[in-house]
Amino acid sequence: MKYDAFEEIGGGLEFVPRADVYRTPGGWVVKFDLAGVKPQDIQVEVRGSVLRVVGVRRDSFIERGFRHHSMEISYSRFERSLRLPCTGEGASVTTEYLDGLLIVTIDTGE
Amino acid sequence: MSDDNVLTLPLFPLKNAVLFPYLGLPLTAGRPISIAAIESALATEEKEILVVAQRDAAVQAPSREELFEVGTKAVIRRLVPLPTGGVQIFVQGTLRVRVGELEQATPFITAKYEPAPVALDSGADVEALEREVKDLGAKVLSLARPQTEIDISQLAGSEEDRLRWLYILASLMGLEHQKAQELLAADELTEGLRLMHGYLQYEVRVLELRQNIASKVQSEMTKQQREMLLRQQMRAIQEELGETDEAGAEVELLRERFDKADLPDEVRKEAERELKRFARLPQASPETNVIRSYLEVILELPWNQSSEAVLDLAHARKVLDEDHLGLDEIKSRILEHLAVQKLNPDAKAPILLFVGPPGVGKTSLGKSIARAQNREFQRMSLGGLHDEAELRGHRRTYIGALPGRILQALRRAKVNNPVLMLDEIDKLGRDFRGDPASAMLEILDPEQNDTFRDNYLDMPFDLSSVFFITTANSLDTIPQPLLDRMEVLSLTGYSEEEKLGIAKKYLLPRQLEQSGVRADQCELSDETLARIIRRYTREAGLRQLERVIGRVLRKTAVGFAEGSSEKVTVLPDDLIEMLGPERFHLEKARKNMPPGVAAGLAWTPAGGDVLYIESTLLPGGSGLTMTGQLGNVMQESARAAQSYLWSHADDFGIDAERFRKEGVHIHVPAGAIPKDGPSAGITMATALASLYCAKPVQSDTAMTGEITITGLVLPIGGVKEKVLAARRAELTRIILPRQNEADLHDLPNDVRSEIEFIFVDHIDDVLRAAIPEACRSKKAS
Repeated sequence: MKYDAFEEIGGGLEFVPRADVYRTPGGWVVKFDLAGVKPQDIQVEVRGSVLRVVGVRRDSFIERGFRHHSMEISYSRFERSLRLPCTGEGASVTTEYLDGLLIVTIDTGE
Repeated sequence: MSDDNVLTLPLFPLKNAVLFPYLGLPLTAGRPISIAAIESALATEEKEILVVAQRDAAVQAPSREELFEVGTKAVIRRLVPLPTGGVQIFVQGTLRVRVGELEQATPFITAKYEPAPVALDSGADVEALEREVKDLGAKVLSLARPQTEIDISQLAGSEEDRLRWLYILASLMGLEHQKAQELLAADELTEGLRLMHGYLQYEVRVLELRQNIASKVQSEMTKQQREMLLRQQMRAIQEELGETDEAGAEVELLRERFDKADLPDEVRKEAERELKRFARLPQASPETNVIRSYLEVILELPWNQSSEAVLDLAHARKVLDEDHLGLDEIKSRILEHLAVQKLNPDAKAPILLFVGPPGVGKTSLGKSIARAQNREFQRMSLGGLHDEAELRGHRRTYIGALPGRILQALRRAKVNNPVLMLDEIDKLGRDFRGDPASAMLEILDPEQNDTFRDNYLDMPFDLSSVFFITTANSLDTIPQPLLDRMEVLSLTGYSEEEKLGIAKKYLLPRQLEQSGVRADQCELSDETLARIIRRYTREAGLRQLERVIGRVLRKTAVGFAEGSSEKVTVLPDDLIEMLGPERFHLEKARKNMPPGVAAGLAWTPAGGDVLYIESTLLPGGSGLTMTGQLGNVMQESARAAQSYLWSHADDFGIDAERFRKEGVHIHVPAGAIPKDGPSAGITMATALASLYCAKPVQSDTAMTGEITITGLVLPIGGVKEKVLAARRAELTRIILPRQNEADLHDLPNDVRSEIEFIFVDHIDDVLRAAIPEACRSKKAS
C-alpha cells in the first residue's frame, strides 16, 4: 500500500485550527476556528512573540447505539503556533470562547 | 499522547502495509473483524485504534502470534462508506507501541499495548549516519520520483523530526512492507538509520540498474527511430521539391523486374551491382538516368528468350512460294539450311548475302524467311553508315550513349534468334571515326559472335542464334574478308514472264487495295500488263512496275470517285492516254545492218540490254578511235579484237596493209551511257571482221564473250539478264562462250526453247556463226 497524500504529511501530526488576526486600537485579537472543542480542553500560552494554542477535540456527541456512517471532522490533539508582530511580554492576555470560536485578546497597552 | 494510560484498544490487523507514527495512511476495511474494530474505535471520543501488521496476509482473523509485536496507535481521521459494504478510513499514526496480549478475538480484536517510543540517541557517528542516509535518500527520491521535488532536509527540524523524516522517507520510497515493519521495529534511531541505509543502498543500485536498462533500450530504439525519422524527413523534403518518392519505388520496381527476368548469372551479378549504385545515387544526379537506361537495356535484352523456330520444311516451302514467284534457287538454298538445322539444332545459323539489283525482292525475301521459320524479323539499313559506334555502341561514359544497332534490333525483337536483315551492306561508309565493315567482321563471324561485346553493354552477348541476312546491289564494294564470311546468293532480274506473274499475283492486288478500287471494278489484261512492263518500265526489279500499275489504277479511281460504277477494262491501247507516250523503245533488232555493225549484249544493274557496236573505216586516217563513253577495259578489248584480226588478216582474206593505212572508229550507242567490261570482246571482233570483209553480220544474232589476243573466248557474267534482253529485242540467235552453258539453267524453259544458243570456244566459231559469208571467203582463200 503506497501512501502519497502529501498535504497530510506536510500538515503535521494534528489537525490545525484556522486563525484570523486583527489589529485593534488596544493591541491584537486572534480568532481560532475551534468548533466542537470544549474550553477546558484548550491551553493558550504566549512565549515571546509566539502565541501557541494546544488542545484536543473529542467527539462528545457520541452516545450508546450511535454508529458512524462517515466521518470528516478530525477528533484528535491539535496545536497551532502563530508568530505575532509584537511581543507578548508584559501584555495582558485574555481568552474567551464564543460560538465555537476561541478569541484571544492581547492588550499591549498602546 | 493524551491518553497513554488507556492500555487497551481495538486492533486493526493490517495486510501488506505498515503504518508509521506521524504519518497518515488510507486503509480499506472489508473484513468484519476490521469493520467492527473501526466501529468500536469510532464509538469513543478519541477515535483511537491500534494498527498492527499481520505476518501472513492470507489469514482472516490473526491470532497474537500472527501479528507483529510492534505496531502503531492511530487516530481515525476520516470515514467513508464504500458501496461494496466496506469502509475506507484515513488513519494517522500517533505513537509507536508494543502490542501485548489480545483481550478478545471476536467480534473484533482488542489488545493491550504499551507505548514504545524510539530512543533518539545522538553522537557523532549517529550524525554521520543521519547525513549519509539523507544524501542517499535524496538520491533515491530523485531517481524514483524525478518529477516531484522533495527536499527531505527541510523535513527535519525538532528532535522528534529526526525520526519523523526517516519514516516519511520510508513511505516515499514505497518500502516493501517487510522492510517497513523491520524499520518500525527498530528501537533506537541508530538502528533505524542503519536499516534505512541498507535499504537505500539497495534501492540506489536497483534504480541505477533500471535506469541503465531503460536508457540502453531507449538508445537502441532511438537509433532505429532516428533512421526512420530521417527517411521520412527525406521523403517529405523530396515531396516538397516535387521529387516524390519515385526513386525508391523505381528501385523496387527495377529489382522486381530483375527478380523475374531470366538472366545469365554474370549478367545478373553485374546488374545487381549497378542496381545498388542506382539505389544509392540521389535522384537528381545526372548519372541516375544513365544507370537507369543501362539497367533497362539489360532487362529488355533477350538473353535467354528465343522463339520456337519452326523447322517444318513443307510449311516453309509453302510460305516461300506464297510470298515469291520464281527464285527457285534461293528458295532451295533456304530450305537446305532449314533441313540442316532440323537435323542438327546446334548448327550455327547461316549468314546469307543476297545480292541483286534493286527491287528484286531481297528484303521481302528476308521477311518471308522469317515467316517460314516463325522467327522474329528485324531489319536495319547499313547504307551510309560510317561510324563503327553505330554498330557496336558507345561506351557508357559518353553522354547520350546507346547500345549499337545490333543490340537495339535484338531488343526490339525480344528474342535472341530473329532473322536480322542488314540491308545495303555494300554501301557501308568508312571514315576517320572508324570502319563499320571491320566491326561487321566480328558480328558476322559465327566463330566469334557468340561473345559479341557491345561497348555500351560491356558484357558479351550471344549472337550465334541470330539468322543474319545481308543484302547488297553489288559485290564490288564489299571488303573481301567480309564477303568471305557470307554465303552469296544472287537474285538476278526477273524475266518479263516472271514480272507478269508477279504483277498479277502480288502487285495488282496490292495496288488495287491501296487505291481503293475493287477487283471487280477494274481489269488489266495480261496484254496490258505486258505492255506496261515492256514499254513503261525498264528495270530488273519491280518497283517501277508497281508504281505504274498504281498510276493506272488511280486514273480509273477518279472515274469511280465521280460516281461511275461501270467496270473498267484497261486495254493496251488505253495506256497512251493514261500514262502518256511509251517511255522505252526497245533496241529492236536492227534489220539490214551494214557491214561493221554487230549486236552485243550488256549487263546493267537494271538487267540486260542489247548494245549495237558500230564501226567504220576512216580512209587515210590511222589508229583506233573509240567513242560512246567506253571504259578502259572495253577499250582494251577493242584493241585486242583488232590485234587479233590484224594478226590473222590472211585467214580472213583481209589485206593487212589496210590496218595500217586506214583508221577505224568504233562507236557504241547510246553515247551518253558509260559502258565498261570485257564481255563485248567478241562483238567488237565480229564488228571489225564484218567491216574489213565488208560483209554484214547476221541480223538475228547477238553475242557476248571476252576475247583474248589469241582468239580464245572466255566466259562472262550476267547471262540470264543478257539472254532476256536479247529476247526482248526479238533476237533469236545468241552466241555464248561454251563455259557459260551451265548458266542457262537459270532461264525459264520457254526462253530456252525460243532461242537458239551457239556455244563457242574460239573467235573463229563466232565469226563462222555470225558472218557466214566472211567465213566462206576465208575458206575460199
